[in-house]
Amino acid sequence: MDAAVEAIGLTKRFGALTAVDEVDLALAPGRIYGLLGPNGSGKTTLIRLLTGLARPTAGEARVLGHRMPSQAGLASIGYMTQADGIYPELSVLENIRFFAALYGTTERAALTAALELVELADRAGTPVFELSGGLRRRLSLACALVHRPPVLFLDEPTVGIDPALRVQFWSHFRDLAASGTTLLVTSHVMDEADRCDELLLVLAGRVIEHGTSAEIRARVGADSLEAAFLAVSAGNRGR
Amino acid sequence: MSGRRVAAISRRILSQFRRDHRTVALLFVVPVLVTGLLGWIVTESHAVPPRVGTVILSPLLAGRVEDAFAAADTDGAIDYVGRADSEDAARRLLRDDDIDVALVVPAGIQADILAGRRPTLTIITQGIDTVGDGGAAVAVQRVVATAIGTGTGGAIVPAFERETVYGSPDATQLDALGPIFLGFFAYFFVFLLTGVSFLRERTGGTLERLLATPVGKAEIVIGYVAGFGILATIQVIVLLTFSLADVQVAALGPLPAFSLGLGVANAGSPLLVFAIVLLLAIGAVNLGIMLSTFARTELQVIQFIPIVIVPQGLLGGLIWPVESLPDVLQPIARILPLTYGIEGLRGVLVRGAGLDDPTLQVDLAVLAGVAILVALLATRTIRREVA
Repeated sequence: MDAAVEAIGLTKRFGALTAVDEVDLALAPGRIYGLLGPNGSGKTTLIRLLTGLARPTAGEARVLGHRMPSQAGLASIGYMTQADGIYPELSVLENIRFFAALYGTTERAALTAALELVELADRAGTPVFELSGGLRRRLSLACALVHRPPVLFLDEPTVGIDPALRVQFWSHFRDLAASGTTLLVTSHVMDEADRCDELLLVLAGRVIEHGTSAEIRARVGADSLEAAFLAVSAGNRGR
Repeated sequence: MSGRRVAAISRRILSQFRRDHRTVALLFVVPVLVTGLLGWIVTESHAVPPRVGTVILSPLLAGRVEDAFAAADTDGAIDYVGRADSEDAARRLLRDDDIDVALVVPAGIQADILAGRRPTLTIITQGIDTVGDGGAAVAVQRVVATAIGTGTGGAIVPAFERETVYGSPDATQLDALGPIFLGFFAYFFVFLLTGVSFLRERTGGTLERLLATPVGKAEIVIGYVAGFGILATIQVIVLLTFSLADVQVAALGPLPAFSLGLGVANAGSPLLVFAIVLLLAIGAVNLGIMLSTFARTELQVIQFIPIVIVPQGLLGGLIWPVESLPDVLQPIARILPLTYGIEGLRGVLVRGAGLDDPTLQVDLAVLAGVAILVALLATRTIRREVA
């Protein structure tokens, strides 16, 4: 099966600093990928390269075969940024309608479906500045998936939200994957990582491990993912 | 009250500014620069001597009056252009901006003087710049006083009638300033509003999100121009209505009678006024988008006011006519959009200039050109690459 997201020798340098270092990836459709790594390891830069927000120094990123950034590629992705990236002065519905319009999605059913997915349908008329942080995060997610993109990039989607909502989010992610959506999710939280189908461990701009949680634990010989992650990081640093 | 805590707070404030070089510059460098510019304009502005034409219908006095104007020209008090054949010819010269002021000496002046009557002369000005017109009229009166006074024993003090080619001789400063402030405020507020809005777009993560959608940079800029263009349109309608309207409201009970609106005179088409202000506003929208790249906070957008808006106010003909500015500053004034906006607004409101007026054509072309240029620059500042 063709990869939904591909990176071929993807590299990004900022002066002397190499933020992403010759990354090769092929993400299969309908799966959830977890992008793990310490702060400053290059996770966000990698996502920005894959979404076409950053221009690679070398190599290329492809979404559904379209080299990024291209109109066709951008039309097939949804991107939830670390910042909420929604308009506080607009209502919940106005925000979602605006982002939907940018993708040419205008039918009311799509807007309602996205709002129902994040359980904000009863707050449609509320201005965003009146919403709590967790509700804003939900709206941010709804804005990323209102046009039903085949590929979703979620940069720390569960930061700052309570455990109950986090469980709900992951159940949504699972449903989306079951319907064929490919998700790439960054996270710091290891128990979230265990919910992913496959994990990508990033350190100093390179993907140093790629596999299921069980595969990585077995390869490193650690009994928890956290221990495996620490062992891999330490081993890489020592090299 | 603890001195230590107070000191901690004031020390913290100073430390914050140490890292914000731009605010430090705003506090110490910009005021010096702006005050310096103001001082330069005020001290070096040369009052341009008014260009005077005469219409002398009394052949007996012609030589004496012309001699007096020639002498005043040599003194540098006025710039004597010459004698026109008729009042109509003089009005044409005024309309074509070949002279600033015309003196009409009536045919019957000699008879009036001989009969001991007080003669009446007419001074015609353009009527565009009320302050400048007043100065020009005084200069002409002084020359006439010398010419007639010296020749007639000094006993005769002629009376002067004021007429204007445009507007009315009773025009107040408000009539001259009204149109200008209309443009200035539209420009200023639209710039501030867009600058802050777009900065929020950049810092709030929404621009990042927008750029990860199929939307193009040109689409963003045009969308902004259209959105703020509609706001500017409403603003101009409100301002224009208030400036031009003069509705008398009768006294009611304890409320005294009052008038609504400024009643500024308008000789031209409100639609043209509208077009000029809208072009100015579109330029301001794009300038706001462009400069928001160079600001990290809303405070820093506000800091652009003394750098971007104030110099345009000083040089754009808002208070001092561009021709009277120091020579070095005149070319600078000629590249600022507000200069053309003010010139255009004055042209339409005071002179009643239409689309066939060459000066107004230049004004509109420059404003449109600047708006397009700044739009292209603004598009370039929107980059997918933010890091």
